[in-house]
Amino acid sequence: MNEVIELIVATLIQGFIYALMSYGVYITYKILDFPDLTVDGCFPLGAAVTAVLITNGVNPFLTIPISIVVGALAGLCTGIIHVKFKVRDLLAGIITMTALFSINLQIAGSNLSIGRDMDTIFTAAPTMAIFGGFSLLYRKLVVSLILVIVFKIIIDLYFKSKSGILLRAVGDNATLVTSMAKDKGTVKILGLVIANALVALSGCIVAQEQRSFSSTMGTGQVVFALATVIIGVTIFKRMSFVKGTTCALVGSVIYKACIQLAITIGLPANLLKFVTAVLFLVILIIGNRGKEGGAARA
Amino acid sequence: MKKILSIVLALTFLLSFAACAKDAEKEIPVIGISQYGEHSSLDNCRDGFLQGLKKAGLEEGKDFTVDYQNANFDDATATQIGQNFSSKNYALMCAIATPSATACFAAAEDKDIPVVFTAITDPVAAKLDKGNITGTSDKLPVEAQLQLIRALQPDAKTIGIIYTTSEPNSVSAIAEYKEKAGSFGFTIEAIGITAQAEAVQAADKLIAQKVDCLSNLTDNNVVGVISAILEKTDAAGIPIYGSEIEQVKKGCVASAGIDYIKLGIQTGEMAAKILKGEAKASDIPYETISEYETYVNNDQLKKFNITLPADIQDKAIDALAAE
Repeated sequence: MNEVIELIVATLIQGFIYALMSYGVYITYKILDFPDLTVDGCFPLGAAVTAVLITNGVNPFLTIPISIVVGALAGLCTGIIHVKFKVRDLLAGIITMTALFSINLQIAGSNLSIGRDMDTIFTAAPTMAIFGGFSLLYRKLVVSLILVIVFKIIIDLYFKSKSGILLRAVGDNATLVTSMAKDKGTVKILGLVIANALVALSGCIVAQEQRSFSSTMGTGQVVFALATVIIGVTIFKRMSFVKGTTCALVGSVIYKACIQLAITIGLPANLLKFVTAVLFLVILIIGNRGKEGGAARA
Repeated sequence: MKKILSIVLALTFLLSFAACAKDAEKEIPVIGISQYGEHSSLDNCRDGFLQGLKKAGLEEGKDFTVDYQNANFDDATATQIGQNFSSKNYALMCAIATPSATACFAAAEDKDIPVVFTAITDPVAAKLDKGNITGTSDKLPVEAQLQLIRALQPDAKTIGIIYTTSEPNSVSAIAEYKEKAGSFGFTIEAIGITAQAEAVQAADKLIAQKVDCLSNLTDNNVVGVISAILEKTDAAGIPIYGSEIEQVKKGCVASAGIDYIKLGIQTGEMAAKILKGEAKASDIPYETISEYETYVNNDQLKKFNITLPADIQDKAIDALAAE
């Protein structure tokens, strides 16, 4: 039984730290209606910066604000390329993502490991002072849970502010924003900045959890994040009171649980992705069922 | 709400069920093999690993069972595989290729599960050299390669090498080539590239510089266009030395290369020692492969009028005849 609990805890940790990225993609994809491919470059960017800082002896907690800032800069690039230079949304993201691949290599090389003698946010003194009684696995759970909840609250509060309401309006009804004498381009850039800050933050925490950065770790992350957002939104479709961030969080945990399940079932290893795909399909079908007429609307 | 509960409960139950199903066979120690993805060198490592365990007297199904997973070349999946093995408290984790080893080692950070890796070029740089971990490195046998070139081309002075500046394996191999070339009387002309498209241009430049031969690393950008490069060097009369058997099959004259099956066997024997309790992973330093194979392409050798010295002739493996 113990191992089942451990397995569930490990899955929750993965779901939580990747949920930070899902928050970001929820903002671009669901709110701004912007398919932002910057994610594939921005996620390893956060990890690269974090790995370099920690191996150089910087306090691991400092890597969090620094990753947020570099991620925000990446989002700013995509935003400016799209809004100011009128490049199509998909291509703007591709340009930044491509450039970031080289930048990440410049920052950290193609691989960088954080040795066990270096502290991460899961092993640093302040964490040990409060949660020192827990084993590493449960410390990771608590720390990632705190992070995911703190940022959820911040985002939820932001959406209620004037700037946040404008942001939500841009995706739904851009004319309304213009009629309020606001520049919708600026609002879009702001959304991309916030979203990519969260994506890089996720990379920062993953690098510390895995104690490593690799230049290939970003590949496919945008697909993952989109899937989590869609799974979350589908499941809570009939519950309008559920916040978008909750959808993203639950979606991320379910995604990671599906992969863990596919591993645990123990089918031939090359079928792993296929099993994962089937599990997603089942969840989306269940999510779309329900009251009559539900399927038609899905 | 019911719907969500049912999904969550179903996932939990399935996870528990699947995990417990494996529980029944608990008395036999389980080895979790985490492989980054399926490609011939890594598959050979896994085959060799199992052969190595057998050679050391351990029988699959009786002395151990295997849970084999591969991450389909996805880092995040490799992470979850490591956590899966760690949660189930497997007796030993075997990690094939660096991302899988990093993931397994991170998952076992506060546990006492030994990790045995293979197919890692630089375990020190990957910080996999300290802790309850050991294994084998597939570092290129640079010295053996230089020795081979000297034996086949006694008058050669310069060796040209094309490498990708963003591949850490290539960068460290170049450094080793430069360091050791002098003692064999060679100078190295290295050209760094950033993309595959530049590899053929770099070859043109080396041909113009009249290098005596080219030597390859396991550099993906160069290996990917090796046929195009060979076309040019063949015309210019410059032989290329490969880094493993596949390149020799394609037209490189010879190679001092790694046999990944042998590398796997060496790894399996290390794992067997740990499983039998004869040694702890933390006490065994990682090993580089102790013997290399010499692969030759007889057609190409004839074309360049190179005759194999008798001692090499005896141990050389004809790459074209190999299966």
